[in-house]
Amino acid sequence: MPAAQRHMLTPMLLASALLFGGCSPPAPPHTASSLKGEAVTAVNGIMRYPASDFVEQREGLRGGTLRVSAATDSGSFDIHGLSHGNMQWLGRILFDCLVYQAEDGTLTPWLAKAWDISADGLTYTFHLRDDVTFSDGARFDAETVRLNLEHMRDPATKSPLAAAYIAPYLKGRVIDDFTFEATLREPYAPFLDVLSQAWLGMISPKQILEAPRSIATRPIGSGPFVLDSYVRDQGAMFSRRAGYDWSPPAIKHQGEAYLDRLELSYVPEAMIRYTALEAGDSDMALDAPPQNAAAIRANPQLTLRSRIRKGNPARSITFNVERVPFDDVRVRQAMAKAIDRDGLAWISGFGEFLAKGDYLAVNTPGYDPVAQDALAFDPATANRLLDAAGWTERAADGVRMRNGQRLQATLLTYDNPAFPANVAVAVQADLRKIGFAMAIEVLPLTRVMQLRYAGEFDAIGGGYWHTNTADGLYILYHSNAIPSARLIGQNVGHFRDAQLDQYLGEARRSTDPQRRRELYRLAQQRLGETVPAVPSVESQMLLAYRKAVGGVLFDGSHNVPLFTSVWLAKEQP
Amino acid sequence: MKLVATVLRRLRDGVIVLWAAASLTFLGMQHSGGDTALAIVGGPDAMPSAELLAQVRAEYGLDQPLWRQYLSYLGRLAQGDLGESYRLRISVVQAIGEQLGATLALASTAALLAVALALASALLTANRGRRLRALVSGGELVLSAVPNFVIGTVLLLAFSFYFHLLPPSGSAGWQSLLLPSLALGLPIAALLAQVLRQSLEQVLEQPFITQARARGMSDTGVRLRHALRHALVPLVTLAGYVFASLLGGAVVLELLFGRQGIGRLMLDATANKDVPLVLGVTLLAAAIYVLVNLLVDLLTQAIDPRTAHH
Repeated sequence: MPAAQRHMLTPMLLASALLFGGCSPPAPPHTASSLKGEAVTAVNGIMRYPASDFVEQREGLRGGTLRVSAATDSGSFDIHGLSHGNMQWLGRILFDCLVYQAEDGTLTPWLAKAWDISADGLTYTFHLRDDVTFSDGARFDAETVRLNLEHMRDPATKSPLAAAYIAPYLKGRVIDDFTFEATLREPYAPFLDVLSQAWLGMISPKQILEAPRSIATRPIGSGPFVLDSYVRDQGAMFSRRAGYDWSPPAIKHQGEAYLDRLELSYVPEAMIRYTALEAGDSDMALDAPPQNAAAIRANPQLTLRSRIRKGNPARSITFNVERVPFDDVRVRQAMAKAIDRDGLAWISGFGEFLAKGDYLAVNTPGYDPVAQDALAFDPATANRLLDAAGWTERAADGVRMRNGQRLQATLLTYDNPAFPANVAVAVQADLRKIGFAMAIEVLPLTRVMQLRYAGEFDAIGGGYWHTNTADGLYILYHSNAIPSARLIGQNVGHFRDAQLDQYLGEARRSTDPQRRRELYRLAQQRLGETVPAVPSVESQMLLAYRKAVGGVLFDGSHNVPLFTSVWLAKEQP
Repeated sequence: MKLVATVLRRLRDGVIVLWAAASLTFLGMQHSGGDTALAIVGGPDAMPSAELLAQVRAEYGLDQPLWRQYLSYLGRLAQGDLGESYRLRISVVQAIGEQLGATLALASTAALLAVALALASALLTANRGRRLRALVSGGELVLSAVPNFVIGTVLLLAFSFYFHLLPPSGSAGWQSLLLPSLALGLPIAALLAQVLRQSLEQVLEQPFITQARARGMSDTGVRLRHALRHALVPLVTLAGYVFASLLGGAVVLELLFGRQGIGRLMLDATANKDVPLVLGVTLLAAAIYVLVNLLVDLLTQAIDPRTAHH
């Protein structure tokens, strides 16, 4: 799930620029080597969030209404029919999943108490809880699971994500009321990981059968809250589900949610989300603006959290490897080494974002730091690589040439808060220093999507893919993921490497965790050598809340707040 | 009889305007580039299957030749069916209905504010002390030139962020309506006041005004009872401009103030190539435009019967 938030107009930013133009940046660029405001530790050289971020520490106070603001409305609550990033936390408010992925990647029980996987990795038998109900009174059972998996892949659902994640699912069988057997076409080790993602939650079987279209605006789940009201582009009201007693055992929360109500409002302007929080008009701001991070930290009433999305980190460039000059790995390596990712982290995250030089987010299960310095910022080596690739002549304007051909390309991008224009321009400036002329073309999103899947571009700017498994590498860089007439794949740069394919394919089929870890280590090393894209920063979500808010736990899969355990220190005045 | 004929003729013209608006928007959306099916289920964060794309193309008729899509759209439109929004997966009528009230409230409050402020400013300053007039007129010039998102931001900074008097966002209650209405109404008020003042000053030079004064009528009486009525004609003909400013400004201000409304709906629909919704909002705007112009003509005749003979 990359950045889905669009921002066609940013009047507030424009106005701020007009009103406050001339202010200089608060401090010179520096590298954030660790996450600010998070009690992270290094384990075997890998940064880790503390276990206490994911497990309830003590019982909270009951009651109260938590007022939360978020940037955008996803327009629908049908988790199976959406790919919107909001579903990561919204999905957890309304729905439960079969399994729960703990932060370290361990798969733990949720609506399924236990499961068996056949030796060939093709058959999954789920033993389900027998005490779960949906808020419309429907019972959760084996038939519910079957119906939900069918709903995900039913073309009428128009599923942009869930269907792709369960593509290897062949058929399901209800063995008895509370035992369900899923058969896969081919071994697919990430099956349980994706089943624990919020887009693959369980919807009421009654609603799926009787009124599937009503899921969009009146969703019925088995989750810790129920939707009371929804006003498009304005907000939604949720209230505690009485009798809820099936949160994932891994988070150690007992019974119902602590809060009586959740009041969600959609506020597109970051500055207004921040001001409302500061004034006490809201208790929590999701998607907190990085430009206000310093002020939030300075305010004794507020807490700022910085959460890294698992999966594939943000990229500055994805190369079309079928086009000159990116068909030459030396040119791709040179580009990756010429871009100052500390600088990019600074201008996009105001000191909050971590620079990133390899291909998996640090908290993704299977991350290995083997290639973390392979693409370190090193313009001298970048110049040598371009020399070696034959781009040794220089045009009058300093751009490198080879056989009379200029070293140039066009970076395709769209108006995108995750890859703003100033980042594109910084990339352009860094590349110019090694004699590469990169033009920038900004087009509407719909046009960029078309060119992207058609492979009609030199290089494409921005993007990240959030998922909770290292299989995200297969989704982005395996040759089976190259877009074609039969598949909208995410390997849009048409990257093809037999060695990498072998590692990623075997990791998908293997049922041996030790072997999978080793394969993913090899894959990350191989990516550092073959450079299908240039990683830039960890994909991060900032979250700010008032000190009165307690029990903020984070979801093991998505690293977003889990409202089941959130409580309020006192009723608001 | 003549009035009925005028209204009928104008309504016929209105239908032609609606047809033209729908057709041009249809063509424009087709030529804006991008694959509609991909825009519906694609997005930067999606992995739709080829079967799904084929299903979407078939369901929405996107696999048909353009002329057939156009004719079937017109056919459904003639039956009053605006279709279903691709993105929201609800009917266009419902989608617009959900948002219309908030935009109407914003636009009508802004329009009322604009007219009231313009009347007050022009009546009080026309042909009065040169310095006062220059000051007010200069202020109006600035206001009418500044984009409304800047006015909105200044209002936000002052009344929401500094004094904490009014909420910065939302659509609940009259308090949340005040700042966006002011931001939307002020530039319009400024322009209307300029036009009205100039026209008032011309009227105040006319012989019949001198006559009225000679009859011993007070200055206030002259301005309100004689001059204003004549000066209103050019103002009323600006209604089309006012309407366009209200609609265009609503897009920006609804986003800035986090309000519900047609403007935001339109913006999202355009960005997502949600053709039925864009067409629906366009038709609504065109229909209101036709009605506003009809009302303006009738109003102009009522204010100044001479125009009926033109």
